[in-house]
Amino acid sequence: MLIVHCPVCGVEGDETDFHCGGQAHIRRPASHDPHNITDEEQRDYLFMRFNPKGLHFERWRCDRGCGKWFHAARDTASLEFKGYYGITELPPKELQAQATGQWAEFFKARAAETGATRPAKKAAKTSAKKASKK
Amino acid sequence: MSDPVFNSALAHAADHDGAKDLSIAMREISDRGMIDLRGEASSSKFKQAAKSVLGLDLPVKPRTSVSKGNITVFWLSVDQWLINCPRGGHHKLLADLTKALDGMHSLAVDVSDMRAIIRLEGEHVREVLMKGSSIDFTLPEYKAGLVRRLVFAEIAALVHIVSDKPDTVDIYVFRSYADYTWKWLKATAKPGAVIGLFSKAD
Amino acid sequence: MSGRPYRLPESAAQGSRIDRSKTVSFSFDGKNLTGFAGDTVASAVLASGRKVFGRSFKYHRPRGVIGLGSEEMNALVAVGEAGRKEPNLRATQVELYNGLVATSQNRWPSLEFDVGIVNNYLSRLFPSGFYYKTFMWPRSFWESVYEPIIRNAAGLGEAAREHDPDTYEQMHVHVDVLVVGGGVAGIAAAEAAAASGKRVMLADENAVLGGVADISVGSIDGKPQGDWVKAKAAQFAKAGNVHVLTRTTVVGHYHHNYVLAAERVADHEPSLLDKGAPRHRLWKIRAGQVIVASGALERPIAFANNDRPGIMMASATRGIVDRYATAPGMNGVIFTNNDDAYLTALKLHEAGVGVARIIDVRANASSELAEAARKAGLQVQTGAAIAGIETSGGGKEITGVKVAPYSKSRGRVVNEEKVACDFVAVSGGFNPVVHLWCHNAGKLKFDETIQSFRPDRHNDPIMVAGAANGTFDLAGCLEEGYATGEAAAKAVGGKTGKLTKAAAPGGGAGSVEAIWFAPATGKYNEGNKHFIDFQNDVTAADLELAQREGYESVEHTKRYTTLGMATDQGKTSNINGLGVISDATGKKIPEIGTTTFRPPYTPYSFGSIAGTKKGELFLPVRRTSIYDWHIARGATWEPVGQWRRAYCYPTGGENKKDAINREILAVRNKVGLLDASTLGKIEIKGPDAGKFLDLVYTNVFSSLKVGKCRYGLMMNEMGFLMDDGVTVRLGEDHFLMHTTSGGADRIAQWLEEWLQTEWTTLKVFVTPVTEQWAQFAIAGPKARKVLQKLDGDIDFSEDAFEFMSYREGTLAGYPVRVFRISFSGELSYEIATPSNFGRGLWDTLMEAGASEGIEPYGTEALHVLRAEKGFIVIGDETDGTVTPYDVNMGWAVSKKKEDFIGKRSLSQSFLASEGRKQLVGLETKDPNDVLPDGAYAVAEVKPQPPMKMIGQVTSSYWSPTLERSIAMALIEGGLSKMGETVSFPLEGGKVVEAKIVSPVFLDPEGKRQDV
Ligand SMILES: [Zn+2]
Repeated sequence: MLIVHCPVCGVEGDETDFHCGGQAHIRRPASHDPHNITDEEQRDYLFMRFNPKGLHFERWRCDRGCGKWFHAARDTASLEFKGYYGITELPPKELQAQATGQWAEFFKARAAETGATRPAKKAAKTSAKKASKK
Repeated sequence: MSDPVFNSALAHAADHDGAKDLSIAMREISDRGMIDLRGEASSSKFKQAAKSVLGLDLPVKPRTSVSKGNITVFWLSVDQWLINCPRGGHHKLLADLTKALDGMHSLAVDVSDMRAIIRLEGEHVREVLMKGSSIDFTLPEYKAGLVRRLVFAEIAALVHIVSDKPDTVDIYVFRSYADYTWKWLKATAKPGAVIGLFSKAD
Repeated sequence: MSGRPYRLPESAAQGSRIDRSKTVSFSFDGKNLTGFAGDTVASAVLASGRKVFGRSFKYHRPRGVIGLGSEEMNALVAVGEAGRKEPNLRATQVELYNGLVATSQNRWPSLEFDVGIVNNYLSRLFPSGFYYKTFMWPRSFWESVYEPIIRNAAGLGEAAREHDPDTYEQMHVHVDVLVVGGGVAGIAAAEAAAASGKRVMLADENAVLGGVADISVGSIDGKPQGDWVKAKAAQFAKAGNVHVLTRTTVVGHYHHNYVLAAERVADHEPSLLDKGAPRHRLWKIRAGQVIVASGALERPIAFANNDRPGIMMASATRGIVDRYATAPGMNGVIFTNNDDAYLTALKLHEAGVGVARIIDVRANASSELAEAARKAGLQVQTGAAIAGIETSGGGKEITGVKVAPYSKSRGRVVNEEKVACDFVAVSGGFNPVVHLWCHNAGKLKFDETIQSFRPDRHNDPIMVAGAANGTFDLAGCLEEGYATGEAAAKAVGGKTGKLTKAAAPGGGAGSVEAIWFAPATGKYNEGNKHFIDFQNDVTAADLELAQREGYESVEHTKRYTTLGMATDQGKTSNINGLGVISDATGKKIPEIGTTTFRPPYTPYSFGSIAGTKKGELFLPVRRTSIYDWHIARGATWEPVGQWRRAYCYPTGGENKKDAINREILAVRNKVGLLDASTLGKIEIKGPDAGKFLDLVYTNVFSSLKVGKCRYGLMMNEMGFLMDDGVTVRLGEDHFLMHTTSGGADRIAQWLEEWLQTEWTTLKVFVTPVTEQWAQFAIAGPKARKVLQKLDGDIDFSEDAFEFMSYREGTLAGYPVRVFRISFSGELSYEIATPSNFGRGLWDTLMEAGASEGIEPYGTEALHVLRAEKGFIVIGDETDGTVTPYDVNMGWAVSKKKEDFIGKRSLSQSFLASEGRKQLVGLETKDPNDVLPDGAYAVAEVKPQPPMKMIGQVTSSYWSPTLERSIAMALIEGGLSKMGETVSFPLEGGKVVEAKIVSPVFLDPEGKRQDV
């Protein structure tokens, strides 16, 4: 039974007072460009998740407190919470720096994107259109 | 035309005015009206409008409450409050609030019948609460005025410490769970089950 | 068995725990016995002259008491009768009270004569892994033949079959420092931690504090250890920041210092139950720091037939003498590899019990205690070991031991000598109790000095002190106790407090020499069993066989042989088992490693796990404001989540089927009233509310006119239906959403989640108000007439209040919200009033409707009514893999909206492909055949499975309106199969044929509701 801390209202409580909402920072393709989403992109958005041993970034909800969602960085091996941050935020730099594997790559990519070199939109793939309902 | 018939959540329980033979005193409180208020705490216009109706500043510190006259406002979230006032008076209060908040992003709803309130009194109240929730009510932060939402006996509840020394605590549960909560408290607050946590022997 | 008494004469030196002035009566296996207040079942039964307490698990060998407390693995008894019976209690832990009823376990028909003993003589059929080897084939024999045999012949005690009349509870507490174990080290730790002013909890499984202080060597501050213990216990009782839990076993340590402790509140004094005490209380403790001071347990020595009744641990032997003035026999042999057992010899001698010989495997024994024993005239034989046990009465009475010279390298027995005795006290050294340390991944290291594992690293805020840390001398225990107490208090922010530390003279814990196996007389494993795990009947030979068969990993050996499993969890067996494996493989113990110690440390009752969750508190039950009326009207219940909804209302001897049909026809022909209060209700308001609803529903809501209602479909992001309901526009930026009863909480949270995490700039507030409103559906051709009878300010006439619109006002004095919507296909209004007025309005409606023949209808009638109309129910027609197109509701999926939840997924190739199952209606060929829910449609009926399944029935009813059966089903390509016949092979061979039709069986034009 973990102890979780809510960065929004400051409450601290048992895991059962909270709700874990799985992996953080998943981008919903339809919120950005609803017309140009490949089947593969949609599949990855729905189903593909990181499963690191070590530092992981998750969404949590202060279920029995303020009801707000927040982000938490948690070590999946020691189950230690390494930090909490806002639901619309990326982790603080020092937590990003501790990330390894897929998460390290992810933050690197996000940093590149938010810089001047934001990649151009991908060309529309035909498969998505073909599959659309009549 | 006759008056509408009013039945509180625990009206069916013969002892809802005061349960006997328990380690705590316990009764239903049904004469309170409640309004759920949503709004942006960051907006001084919103807070000012609320104050103009309620006569008090909305609490912005988590898990606190503010009282003035017969109105008590609980902090529920960063954008949510529960206004507690005499039942019957809530209609006018809600109408006034709605009017004052017109044009502001907000939502005030009558929730007077949504929850049941059970008042617990006596020196063993905190111990009884601790048998049903993972929160340690004997810790120093649980003092008069505190409001906390929690899982209590498997259900969602809200605890308001009305006063301490001696302890008076109101527990709010959704109306449909009132009977279950009442029975749970009666089963748990048996005199023979008192622990006397951290009590001093003479 | 002679029944001769073993109670020692009254003396100041023995019997510290018993009160001879209070005789206590109890029974053991039906025999009435007496003991004294303070006795345990073990001490009182032993004092009566009985040594056999039970039969062993696999071989059914007679077994006696071996230990002193919770580590006991042989003398397991059941205590109590009928619903109060609790099996597998350790007789050494059960405190005696008047009227206690104890029974032995694992014997049939009696303890003296046991049929299962035949297993002992057939033991060559029960080697390691005998379950795997013997019961492999044929598979079908498992259920019918093997399992019942194994279950009858093996296993521990039997659970009670009756209802348990007692209460149980749980308690949560947060403490700064939790000290586990109230021995010398634990007391010192608690005192030091408490001196800081922090909150300290001290838990001990025994009735009194002190651990084994009263039966150990050494004094504290020049006085007996027991005096110091009593003084500290009194000090704790007076302190406001120390809470002592006795009779409380800390059973598990989990993440973030979450600790479970099982308190036996009333087991020792059942009269407490009458005052409302729970029998057991499970503590859920959150500790800033945990100090493990759980002590050490003596380990046996594996010698031939070391399980005979009368062979006890040396410390337990002196425990029963000192504490309970009970002699284990008349004349004993001490068998040891360390100095501590000499204290037992001296204590026995002091109490007037004969000590035939002290047999010490070490070449030299020259400690202070050994010298004292020699001085007392006791015979000490070093460099020797027990090679065999001689018994009478089928192994139940010891008559002597065979002693042979011993040296580590020599495997064969030479020059054995017989020593007459009637009991044996054994000490193979001490194992720190590291279980709790290990529960949450604490690491261990092997300590050569004590020949055992002790705690090493841990990631959690947990410390260890005293014997649990391998520190066996008194001064060391005190010192570590104080040090960890201070360190723990400091770690949780305590200030340094005043603490007067007690002192004990230094003095070695003595030496110990590893002995994992004492060679036996005679052929190996022929009548000689060297038991390692007494509870699971695992012998040294089993472990060696496992090694020969290639179970190299100790974890594999554990599972293959069952070493250290079940309630024992390796308390006494672990190190000895590793020692045997070490000897067999030539690997050192640290290289072999140890198996995992899992919670619980000792078993705790299911009652305490359930706590208050029994009887009517088993599950929280939700009641609508009409609950009592439903009961009075004879409703049967349908659980919907935690709600209880009226299923139907049988009257005048009706069966349910008749009642349901009557209710349906009342709605179709007259008028019915349904309690729909459980429907989810959510207020949604803000400038972006319409835009938000367009994103969460498949259809458009931003275009809905104020005062109008619209039915909406909700998908998850995978494109699958998750909820539906009618949403009303209360104002320009204000909506009221209805959800399914089961979806009320889920959907409110779902909406919040999207607002908070994805569409964070939308200005929308969402407030669930489900329980504010009691809500009823009044449906049927006479519905309007009934409402028009009541006073109020709402015009119910057809033109003034049209279908799919909404009014607010008063009705018979009640404040109401009225929605003209229909889930039955009839003229219908849903009326909501604040919950506390619910019952009043319900009664008013029933009264007003009486002259029109109004009848209440339940959820089953509701379901049939909607099925006659082809309306879906989320969870019936959908199962989490069904899209709006699958249920032929593409009309509700907007083509115009750019985005809404699940939209993109609908065009994923696998959802857009041909051949998906589609919702259709079914008319069975024989109109009287009602298909079972979930029946499979097959492509081709064959004499037996497998048959290709092409769909399944989602809803199926008898329709009293149409006087035939109706059903809905999801059938592959169903919409293009209209008019075709599909077959449903049922259980028992019957095949039902049905024609695929439209699911709208009644009034496809919708004329009935629009009147
Ligand atoms: Zn919070």
